[in-house]
Amino acid sequence: MVQKRTGRVLALALAALLALSMFGLSGCAADDGGDGGEGNGATGEVETIKIGVQTALTGPLPDYGLAAKNGVELALEDFGTFEMNGTTYEVELVVLDDKAEPTEAAVVAQTMVDEGVVGVIGSLTTGATLSAIPIYYENRIPQISGSVTGPKANETGADTFFRTCWNDAIQGEALGVWAMELGAKKVVLMDDNGAYAVGLADVAEDTLKAGGVETLRQNCQSGDKDFSAQVANIKEFGPDAIIFTGYHPEAGLMRKQMVEAGLGDVIFMGGDGIRSEELVAQTGGNANAEGIYATFGGFPEEQQPGYAAFAAKYKEKYGEEVGPYAQNNYDAFGALIAAIKAAGSTDTEEIIAALQTLSYEGVTGTFGFATESDGAVAKGDIVVEGLTPSNVPRYVLKDGAWVSAQ
Amino acid sequence: MATRMETSSGRGTATAHRGAAVRRIASAMPAWVWWLAGIAIAAGFPLLNVIGVVETAWLRVGVVSLIFALLALGLNIVMGETGLLNLGYIAFFAFGAYTTALLSSPKFEIHWPFLAVIVASTLVAMVAGFLISLPTLRLRGDYLAIVTLAFGEIVRLTIINLVPLTNGPNGITGIYPPRLFADAKPALEGIEAWFIIDKPLEYYYLVLVCVVVLAVLLTNLKNSRIGRAWNALREDELAAISSGITAVRAKMLSVVLSAGIAGFAGSLFAYYSNVISPESFLFMQSVIVVCMVVLGGMGSIPGVMLGAIALQALPQLIREAAGAARSDFEVYRMLIYGVLIVVMVIVRPEGLLPDKIFRREAHEVDPRELEMTRQSLFDLEEGEKDLEV
Amino acid sequence: MSFDHIMSVTIGGLTVGMIYALIALGYTMVYGVLKFINFAHGEVFTVGGYVAAFSLLAMGIDASTPWLKVAGAIALALVAAVTVPMVLGFLIERIAYRPLRGRSRIIPLLSAIGVSIVLQQLIIIIFGPKPVTIPTLALSSASVSFLGVNVRVLALVIIAVSAALMIGLTYLVKSTRIGKAMRATSQDMEAAEMMGIDTNRTIAFTFLVGSALAGIGGLLVVMYYGSLKYDAGFLYGLKAFTAAVLGGIGNIPGAVVGAIVLGMTETYGVSVDLGFLAWFVVAGLVLGLYVQMVRVPNRRLAHIAADRRTPEYERSIMNVYRLTPYHGIKTLLAERTDALLSVSAVDAVRLMAGNIFLAVLAAVMFINSSARIDTRWQPVIAFVVLMVILMFRPSGILGEAVTEKV
Repeated sequence: MVQKRTGRVLALALAALLALSMFGLSGCAADDGGDGGEGNGATGEVETIKIGVQTALTGPLPDYGLAAKNGVELALEDFGTFEMNGTTYEVELVVLDDKAEPTEAAVVAQTMVDEGVVGVIGSLTTGATLSAIPIYYENRIPQISGSVTGPKANETGADTFFRTCWNDAIQGEALGVWAMELGAKKVVLMDDNGAYAVGLADVAEDTLKAGGVETLRQNCQSGDKDFSAQVANIKEFGPDAIIFTGYHPEAGLMRKQMVEAGLGDVIFMGGDGIRSEELVAQTGGNANAEGIYATFGGFPEEQQPGYAAFAAKYKEKYGEEVGPYAQNNYDAFGALIAAIKAAGSTDTEEIIAALQTLSYEGVTGTFGFATESDGAVAKGDIVVEGLTPSNVPRYVLKDGAWVSAQ
Repeated sequence: MATRMETSSGRGTATAHRGAAVRRIASAMPAWVWWLAGIAIAAGFPLLNVIGVVETAWLRVGVVSLIFALLALGLNIVMGETGLLNLGYIAFFAFGAYTTALLSSPKFEIHWPFLAVIVASTLVAMVAGFLISLPTLRLRGDYLAIVTLAFGEIVRLTIINLVPLTNGPNGITGIYPPRLFADAKPALEGIEAWFIIDKPLEYYYLVLVCVVVLAVLLTNLKNSRIGRAWNALREDELAAISSGITAVRAKMLSVVLSAGIAGFAGSLFAYYSNVISPESFLFMQSVIVVCMVVLGGMGSIPGVMLGAIALQALPQLIREAAGAARSDFEVYRMLIYGVLIVVMVIVRPEGLLPDKIFRREAHEVDPRELEMTRQSLFDLEEGEKDLEV
Repeated sequence: MSFDHIMSVTIGGLTVGMIYALIALGYTMVYGVLKFINFAHGEVFTVGGYVAAFSLLAMGIDASTPWLKVAGAIALALVAAVTVPMVLGFLIERIAYRPLRGRSRIIPLLSAIGVSIVLQQLIIIIFGPKPVTIPTLALSSASVSFLGVNVRVLALVIIAVSAALMIGLTYLVKSTRIGKAMRATSQDMEAAEMMGIDTNRTIAFTFLVGSALAGIGGLLVVMYYGSLKYDAGFLYGLKAFTAAVLGGIGNIPGAVVGAIVLGMTETYGVSVDLGFLAWFVVAGLVLGLYVQMVRVPNRRLAHIAADRRTPEYERSIMNVYRLTPYHGIKTLLAERTDALLSVSAVDAVRLMAGNIFLAVLAAVMFINSSARIDTRWQPVIAFVVLMVILMFRPSGILGEAVTEKV
């Protein structure tokens, strides 16, 4: 009996301590933000507008979520205060976590609407975006995602949805074409059963089949660690190349296990999901990673006009290399502000109209948004000047770094 | 009878502090007062939104909470009443949701009327429940739990893999809002608009009505012959069988019924969320529904509803509690959610609103009940004296 | 399908199974004594892996480090990877489970889920959301040739460690004083207390051992795959739970057998031809028929006194069993049957249906003998096999012998 009570007290105390420390932490952060706002508010000519950031800080892809948040916060420093019609506007970010979960995404979208945001950057994943789009559409709030690449993300054709990253359909086709150019006659396609990977692999497979290439489709689950069954199947098939369309954690393990099984000289290719510096370590080091090919949605980084400056700023602020899609989210924020300025108003309907005709000079290039679906390009997709589906950037891993393989 | 108990027990505990007195008054109130109060609060909640006190996001949280309350009520039948642990309950929810999505979306250009869809969804889930109960009901305890878990995962993975039917991981988009008639009838056009439900507020009341009706039905069922048979099976299967209960039939009925409720809830969920994808039917969701039932109080109908609402609303509550600092706070939200679950279960292991039987099990001695028992014994003795005189 | 293919699939499956076994052993220890699903075990495993990885990284070893130093570093990492989870396991038991002792088994499940959410979030907050990777060591990439197939040394280490732990744990539970206390606590906690066993201490000890095993598992998994993600514990916990139940709850060799069956199913199911898999179905059918036609009637006969056992009687008993389905259907169609008879008649019909199902399945598989199941069904096959096995053996492969309960 006594023991029971002490256990209970201990648990309560621990919980209270934890909660207190958390509130303490957030309290400090709030003070910092609050001071700035009040200081400006006192001058009287400043108007505050809210911009939402719908991302996933918990759930399956927190590293992507964090990079998106960092990218937007960096953009806030650069474009967060601007003048329009004689008034100084100050942007306040509303960062909410949707756990990459559709149900939660709907609640987050509604919270954004309630908060009165004039635009939203996000969300991070296709599933969450699917359920957020109807709510933003109904409430006429422009939404720019910097990381949703699923071809079917905007199937309903909502005019409020835009994205600053490339649609996967373009990359899928490019992967298939590249494999054929490399002279592959037998190709394995492998996805991780997620929306992104399946979409990419489907398009690539169609391209390859149309070109008369023999293909074998393999799958794994996101989060799998062991691919002995798949590797054995692949070994038996004896391909010239494998296209792995999932993300880098699984891709690294897959490559590692393929090398261990003596399949090191099979060409290993993937989409932008594997184009991460992390991949090198995950394959078990340079020797294994050497010569992996990847495509990318957008200009290669060294060709992105503002990338060097962006990367330096990012590194200075967060002390680490640029995270996935950080610059796309940076551009999403920049484009939204540019649209507000172009519209000359914070009325969301006018911002949406302005976004449709926008031409914005961002980190990733000078871009606008497609107003109608056309082939692989869907409505609201990014259209970068000088970049067409036929010249999708190609990379190869050399000495632990991604270099252009155009 | 209630007032008499109140006065007589007050005699025995003159020193009882005020909290205990309040609790006693509370427990003396007839159940229907509580029901009415609960319904009034739930029905009045959206008004707070209408007058602008509460944000619309809370309405969406409310709709999802109520849908999960339906799920918790359904799972409570197998878990709380019959004592079968089901770790794949979300699969029946998925059956309902996907049936609705297929019968009322541009996917196959089918547009059935609302009532037909919801009945079909319920039936499909019930058939699934029947089929899975055929081979599994012989299993007991954790073996049943793992088989239901496997069933849930098989259903989810099959949904992902059956691309032509379900669009695989992309899910089905653009589910039509519920409407009474499939085709717009020219004469009814104006009136018909009234019957299209597509705003959070309308969904809220639709689901609330369903929850209330279901709760009343289940309360009656709980006290019926079949409800008592389930409880008997839960307490001691052998004893129940020897008292003439057909165990397999009773268990099967409970599984099929709870599957039907999940299918019904899934149909409402699909309508409400307008798009469904396999990400909504993860194993973790099954576990969360189990948590709702346990947290609310197994076997207690108001309890499990409260548990569902508490667990669904908690993340948003934490978000709101963080106030202005919420943007920096989001990272810690799930952490606090976890801590709160642990604290709640340790402070009230029997559940928020426990069922009578489970409360007796959870506490070694409940002083209130002891007092009541003593009082009734005393009444009995008094009565005997009356007889003697 | 070549011999090489079958060999590499077999070895791959065995290794996966043994990795599951490593975690399932710790699982079954706790599970056997307390009989509740310790959802937090997977997270404890992840913590062990992270601690191991970070201590290896902190000691700055890489492929060029001399082997003696590597061995020392691994030993230190092992100490850290065992100590931290042990402390964690002890605290979890003290704070989250002990106050709930004596309640219905389902209630601690809830606090276990709470703990698992907390741990997962703490891992993200403390170690960051990116997967942790360790440099490739000579040890982890070394392989030996076995019957023409390359086998990694580390795979052999994992198999050896799992086997050694299985034997060690069996000894601990069966032949030591504390093991006896564990068995007693598992069977009846109150009675054990009356016999003077400190059940609190026994349970705490069980948690310490279980968590230490999780830590060892974490270290080996990190070394084998080279990387670990913060949510890896969830999937491994699920697999370990499945393996533990499949083998028979609380049965230590059962956990290993269950894990191997699970691992083999996952690899064999999708990487060998149906014609080969069909033989497993045939084997199952033959085994089932043997039990139904020979074992069960003989067991029945053994209960009959020797003087009543005439040859005619034995023959009639045998005939009843051989014609089970006929008798079953006849009983079910009869106007009045007593309850027990109808139950066994239903069983008989169900058994027959099972036999026919297996036979048809085998025939279908033989007809399509060169086809292979798509890898996207990999997890489904594992779960289906689990369901089928539990339907025929409702208390696990090795059963849960009461005396052997942990």
